Amino acid sequence: MIEVLFVLIVASLATSVLGVFLVLKNQAMTTDAISHTILLGIVLAFFITQDIRSPWLIIGAALVGVLTVYLIQLINQTNLIKNDASIGIVFTALFAIAIILISRYADNVHLDIDVVIAGEVLFAPLNRIEIFGYSMPRALWQLGLLLIVNTGFVALFYKELKVSTFDPKFAYVIGFSTTLIYYMLMTLVSVTAVVAFDAVGAILVINFFVAPVLTAYLLVKRLSHMIFLTAFFAILNSTLGYLIGYNIDLSMSGATATVALIIFIMVFLFKPDGYIILKIKKRRQKKEFMHAMILMLMSEDEHEMISSKEIAKHFNLTRAETEKQLETLEMEGYIVKTDDHYMLTIRGEEFTHYSRIKYELKPY
Amino acid sequence: MELLTSYTFLIVAIGTTLLSFASGIIGTISVIKGQSLIGDAIGHATFPGIILAFMLVGVTDTLSLAVGAVIFGVIAFFFIQMITNHSKITLDGALALILSSFFGLGMALKSFVQGNPAFQNTQGIDDYIFGQAAYMLRLDVYLILIASVISLLLFIIFYHQIRIYTFDPIYSSTIGINPSLINFLVLSMTIILIAVGLKAVGAILIVNLLIAPGVIGLLWSNRFKTVIIIAGVAGAVSAFIGTYISTAFAGFPAGPSIIIVLSVFVFISMLFGRKGLVTRKFKKVRGESS
Repeated sequence: MIEVLFVLIVASLATSVLGVFLVLKNQAMTTDAISHTILLGIVLAFFITQDIRSPWLIIGAALVGVLTVYLIQLINQTNLIKNDASIGIVFTALFAIAIILISRYADNVHLDIDVVIAGEVLFAPLNRIEIFGYSMPRALWQLGLLLIVNTGFVALFYKELKVSTFDPKFAYVIGFSTTLIYYMLMTLVSVTAVVAFDAVGAILVINFFVAPVLTAYLLVKRLSHMIFLTAFFAILNSTLGYLIGYNIDLSMSGATATVALIIFIMVFLFKPDGYIILKIKKRRQKKEFMHAMILMLMSEDEHEMISSKEIAKHFNLTRAETEKQLETLEMEGYIVKTDDHYMLTIRGEEFTHYSRIKYELKPY
Repeated sequence: MELLTSYTFLIVAIGTTLLSFASGIIGTISVIKGQSLIGDAIGHATFPGIILAFMLVGVTDTLSLAVGAVIFGVIAFFFIQMITNHSKITLDGALALILSSFFGLGMALKSFVQGNPAFQNTQGIDDYIFGQAAYMLRLDVYLILIASVISLLLFIIFYHQIRIYTFDPIYSSTIGINPSLINFLVLSMTIILIAVGLKAVGAILIVNLLIAPGVIGLLWSNRFKTVIIIAGVAGAVSAFIGTYISTAFAGFPAGPSIIIVLSVFVFISMLFGRKGLVTRKFKKVRGESS
């Protein structure tokens, strides 16, 4: 069983290391396109070889993956169709051809599109291979090799990838081809997508390409830090997904993709400058500002004695809001209440003095 | 000819033609705004909604599954909005994340349903991933009819606001149109059309019906009104031809067939449309000779 976890972790590491550059290049949806169109490659290669286990299936699928990228680029170069629309049209057209081919010619063979899309990593250890005397799942061996190749590619072309991602014009000026780097990257993406999707299914492949990367992207700015943090989240997502899938008996791929979203949302909400912290800060700031404004109003001579009704009218607040603000101010000792009117204390006077300096107003 | 009057063909053809007409028009807005892949993400994201609705109701009832799909479509839309508005993550990344995670949730729920003896007759669910137009019932067509009429009516009522919002969101907010409200309106129409169209073309391919007609329209004209009319007609005609192919020949599912027809139209328009490649070249040659 533990081999399933290894397959998941190695697959997520091999994909997400390339995913970093896809996300930064705004090409995340290209992985969606590729992971759907490789079905066409598999079907075509299957028609030629008539063998569902043939390695040509992987090669055919990877070729169609690269072809997808090429077609999208080709359409983009004509400037006729927007980038996102061309992605949407190309991949649906190729996918539609694949479905028609399957339902017309291969309905009796075992080419279950449902399994292809959803994937079942549980079956991965059943298909084994003998390497140096050790028996291991074929997927683990293939994905392990790809992990080494992909990491090697990123390490070797780190500078080129960085420049062509962040400053393609500069890359052009200093004289290396961003197109070449792009197609090398996309070829590796296709091959990795094909091999990974054989093990974990098309949908989880897309998730592996983007989810750990985006989670890391929320937290760090430096590219090198991002790559390492991405690897951390890739392992975390796979492990949690495995544990949940295993214990509740759910689709492993589905559980892992869901866990990835939950972890992303948690980081999004609770990171130091995340959604929730920002909301709290904003609210606190608003409250502080309101307090300062009320105190400053009271420090003016003509408002020395003021009722809560007048304050409410002045700032266009509701009565309840005003009462709440005044209550806090009174409790903190900035104002005192006499009859129905409020007055500044010495502490309040001092506070308005500093508020004026803080908000850069003329001292009163 | 006999085929054209057969009951099954008529049901399916009316449903798909109406659906493609409406989605062609509504989808054009997203294509112009460069948000066309939102439809793809929402199409995938409806999957867990369908399974949850099935878990609650216990049967594959068209209406409740469509409601489930709409609810999850809206949730996905709000996730995408929140992520892109409150972080440095771009629309592209947010879409890929939401698409794969929501579909993953659907897969997890589906495996739960299938491994649980409390739920029976689960086989109908797969129809919503890849589409099974041949199994469309009268009720499915009614749903499509209602959704299309509602979204087209909304489009006509808010035509003016939508047009200004599409081309100049900043100007639209200065004259008192709330851009995020119109954006939500457009996306709700899209979500409703996706939800009722799932059974006809499936969650994965439905985005094509929203993009391709708009792209065709934009290749033939620059005027918004003309573009949407061409888009609607192109969608409807392709759907009718596609459904005819699917009924006349064995092994051609309706959804993919419609999409192939639409793709052929896109290809032809790319070459011969008013802004197409061949036309462009022709104009250049004529321009040089005169």
